[in-house]
Amino acid sequence: MTAVATHSGAGAAADPAAAAPMPRGRRSTELLMLVFAVGVVLAAYASAGLGLNGKLPAGLVEYGAAFAVLVFVAHIAVRRLAPWADPLMLPLAALLNGLGIVMIYRLQEAGRGGNPGNVITTMNTSTTLYQVVYSAAGIAAFIAVLVVIKEPRILQRYTYTLGALGLVLLAIPAVLPDSLSVVNGAKVWIRIGGFSIQPGEFAKLALAIFFAGYLVAKRDVLALAGRRVLGIDLPRARDLGPVLIAWGASLLILIFETDIGTSALFFGLFVAMIYIATQRTSWLLIGVGLFAAGTYAASKLSSHVGARFTAWLHPLTHANVFCTAAQVHCVSSYQLAQGLYGMGFGGILGTGLGHGQPYVTPLAQSDFIITAFGEELGLTGLMAILLIFGLLVQRGLRAAIGVRDPFSKLLAGGLAFVLALQVFVIVGGVTGLIPLTGVTTPFMSQGGSSLLASWAMIGLLMRISDTARRPAPQSIQDEGMTQIVRAR
Amino acid sequence: MNRAMLRLSLACLVMFALLLINVTYVQAFKATSLASGPGNVRIFDEQFQYKRGSIVVGATAGGTTGGTTIAESRLGKGGTTYHRYYPFGPVYAPVTGYDSIYGPSVGGTAGIEEAENKELAGTDPRLAVHNLIDLVTGKPRLGATVYLTISPKAQQAAYNALKAQGRPAAAVAIDPKTGAILAMASFPTFNPNRYATLSGRRLNKIDLAYRKDSQQPLLNRATQATFPPGSSFKVVTGSAAFGTGKVASPQSTVPAPTNLQLPGTTHVLINDDNEACGDGHPQLIYAFTISCNTAFGDLGMKLGGSVLRAYANKFGFNNPNLTVPLPVTASVFPRVSNPDFTAFSAIGQFDDEVTPLQEAMLSATIANDGTLMTPYLVQQVQAPDLSVVQSARPSVLSRAVSSQVASEMKTMMISVTQNPAGTAYATANQGIAGVEIAGKTGTAQNGVNNTNLDDAVFTCFAPASNPAIAVGVIVKGGGFGAAAAAPIAVQIIRAYLGIS
Repeated sequence: MTAVATHSGAGAAADPAAAAPMPRGRRSTELLMLVFAVGVVLAAYASAGLGLNGKLPAGLVEYGAAFAVLVFVAHIAVRRLAPWADPLMLPLAALLNGLGIVMIYRLQEAGRGGNPGNVITTMNTSTTLYQVVYSAAGIAAFIAVLVVIKEPRILQRYTYTLGALGLVLLAIPAVLPDSLSVVNGAKVWIRIGGFSIQPGEFAKLALAIFFAGYLVAKRDVLALAGRRVLGIDLPRARDLGPVLIAWGASLLILIFETDIGTSALFFGLFVAMIYIATQRTSWLLIGVGLFAAGTYAASKLSSHVGARFTAWLHPLTHANVFCTAAQVHCVSSYQLAQGLYGMGFGGILGTGLGHGQPYVTPLAQSDFIITAFGEELGLTGLMAILLIFGLLVQRGLRAAIGVRDPFSKLLAGGLAFVLALQVFVIVGGVTGLIPLTGVTTPFMSQGGSSLLASWAMIGLLMRISDTARRPAPQSIQDEGMTQIVRAR
Repeated sequence: MNRAMLRLSLACLVMFALLLINVTYVQAFKATSLASGPGNVRIFDEQFQYKRGSIVVGATAGGTTGGTTIAESRLGKGGTTYHRYYPFGPVYAPVTGYDSIYGPSVGGTAGIEEAENKELAGTDPRLAVHNLIDLVTGKPRLGATVYLTISPKAQQAAYNALKAQGRPAAAVAIDPKTGAILAMASFPTFNPNRYATLSGRRLNKIDLAYRKDSQQPLLNRATQATFPPGSSFKVVTGSAAFGTGKVASPQSTVPAPTNLQLPGTTHVLINDDNEACGDGHPQLIYAFTISCNTAFGDLGMKLGGSVLRAYANKFGFNNPNLTVPLPVTASVFPRVSNPDFTAFSAIGQFDDEVTPLQEAMLSATIANDGTLMTPYLVQQVQAPDLSVVQSARPSVLSRAVSSQVASEMKTMMISVTQNPAGTAYATANQGIAGVEIAGKTGTAQNGVNNTNLDDAVFTCFAPASNPAIAVGVIVKGGGFGAAAAAPIAVQIIRAYLGIS
């Protein structure tokens, strides 16, 4: 922070005659990029229809118009509510969201209406419509965040409220009976009536705010107190408390919800934020060490976690692909293998939208949507998508670096990092880089919770970015004119 | 905090770099090896875009001209996908197996379609150069043609005979001099054409119906089902008796009481229908001809379990690695030490188990002067450019017994069909002009307390003077081997030798 202040001060000193450069909101850039994003999405949608049955897809105009209206409404909202916000975040998020809808449409159409492939039983003919509705809800949440939170710092007031809320949201599925909390084998849901929501997606945001508030308050004691052992600054035992609580909570998620992905996400978020707050490598080492130890112990103690490791290490052996009843603790790598086969099938340039067989992979519309893209858009398209995610993360980190208020800085850093971590966990998981765990692909996976939470997160990041880029209020009086008056 | 933020950005960069490297590895470098991964349905679907090789039987010996196609790929409606077609359907089903959209790794293929999949699909490395040329010149990939040793006449006769009698049964015929399999039929069987559908849902339904069928139509009984050999195992016991010198010649007399008290037990071994065996000290050839259990039970106890097992192994028992190239279930001669179990094992009861193929191998060994040739089905594999990729070379599986012993066994086996007292005189002597069949019947008791119907077994070869075909037949619950199994073998031999 001080560096930024010094720099601008030096610049002003070097050329005092020049007027301070007027910071630009770059809203027109955003609009241009949005037009580009909508164009890409519409082209992809048309291409998927043509690839499937040689006809332009039904609803090209309706869905296309709906999507365009949605993003332009978001754009207008940004113009009004956060005119200085980063111009790339909204187009990047819209592009990812739109491509997700296209792939969901393509998967929904498999085996229907004479299209090749078999019908995916976990999807119905209105899945795409729902996804568009969820996107609308997501953008509504995005606008709501911009409306409600005028200044990111006000969130600091609700540090402990949001912390408690986050923990409760996290814990609900673990407490609920399986009938109300398990969907597709993952115990991370709340099912009410026909609706099911993934509270963890929202807990992520609440806890990021809590961590930011907590760490801003405690960072000095966490950073300074302690002893130096073997060149590493060790914190005091009493300051380890919150880390241990976070570690314990994530382990509990691991055990009761058998969800390594979510637990890794939360713990990673916490460790990253404590590291930003204290700049002490020891926290990083302690955090990573604790997580590694916890995961290792879990893999030894829980046969399920251990079997997942086996499925990851050897996804392409016949025994793992086809678990038989005789193999008691076998986690089938069938899905992982089919995802990898799909990616291999797509190769470098892909089969083209509608020409591949991504419907073969179970849950291609949610956890494995990335492999569906890999199959139909090839390595080229997959790399582009990963780079879009990477850019979004980079914009978030840029906002974190730019903002002055430590709370906002921590929050933006944490959110950007957790987005990167989530992409890493799910994409790494479905491509065999790390053990497969069930977290959603932000903006792309079928489902409302993830979309809503992701858009809300973009809302927060854009609000922080708006704060960071907003020009400082002009002083009413020129400081040079200030008279120093000695009063005697 | 910005310094830590920059480091964190670096961590994010590393994560994305790892993802990019990994997807590059998967999609650019590993794609080829993924293509043949277990359960990869995608690539196999793609395979229906190519013309898979045909399976042909009855081509000229050692050559690839003429012959009858029993499996081929035909262009379907619309002319874009190939469908597998089996002109003779169930007749060759145990041989061809089937080919379905699910591919070889998930049990989506069987039989030769599975065993020779790489050749038929054209993915075998030996076809790589050819494929590369096709790729460059833009021609579609073609599979290789697989020529089998099966004789269409023998196969059709075997299938007709099995179908006519109606019980679960199987028959195998081998050329004893080479090991070439001339016929391999199983009943009840299935129609491989039904697996050729391109609809996964229909395929699942068809497959499930076949799998749930209590008649087990998918089971290739010729190679994969085992039955108690019954008295046909006396071929091995007799060979062991001559081979070890325990019995000097077929004319040597052996003890054969009406009731053989088994030492250390209350069990008594009896002959069929509790009959006497001659005067109680018959010549071995007579005991073999009328199939006295007590004579061979006693012999078995004198030889001991380990000697019998060694001889059984020489005839091909207890070999789990045999493929023809269809996998063959190992026939079993157990490790026995108790005299009473040894006596039962020596007459093909207790825990003895044989496949119909093993039955044919018993006769083939004797017919080929004591040398067992490795049975095989694939005569030749011909690349699409008509070059020969693979050609069968007959090989010795084991030198089971000396030609002296083989000739003594042959004498005894001829007696079974030629001596009016022989068990197969009625069924295997009649009606074949000038061709002597040498054989051995078996009537195997089975089930708990032998409550099931007896399995009928027959092993034989013909012509006895210059053997050209060895046959093994087992009919589940068929009763007397001579009555139920021998006529099937006779029909196969007739068809193969062209005797009307």
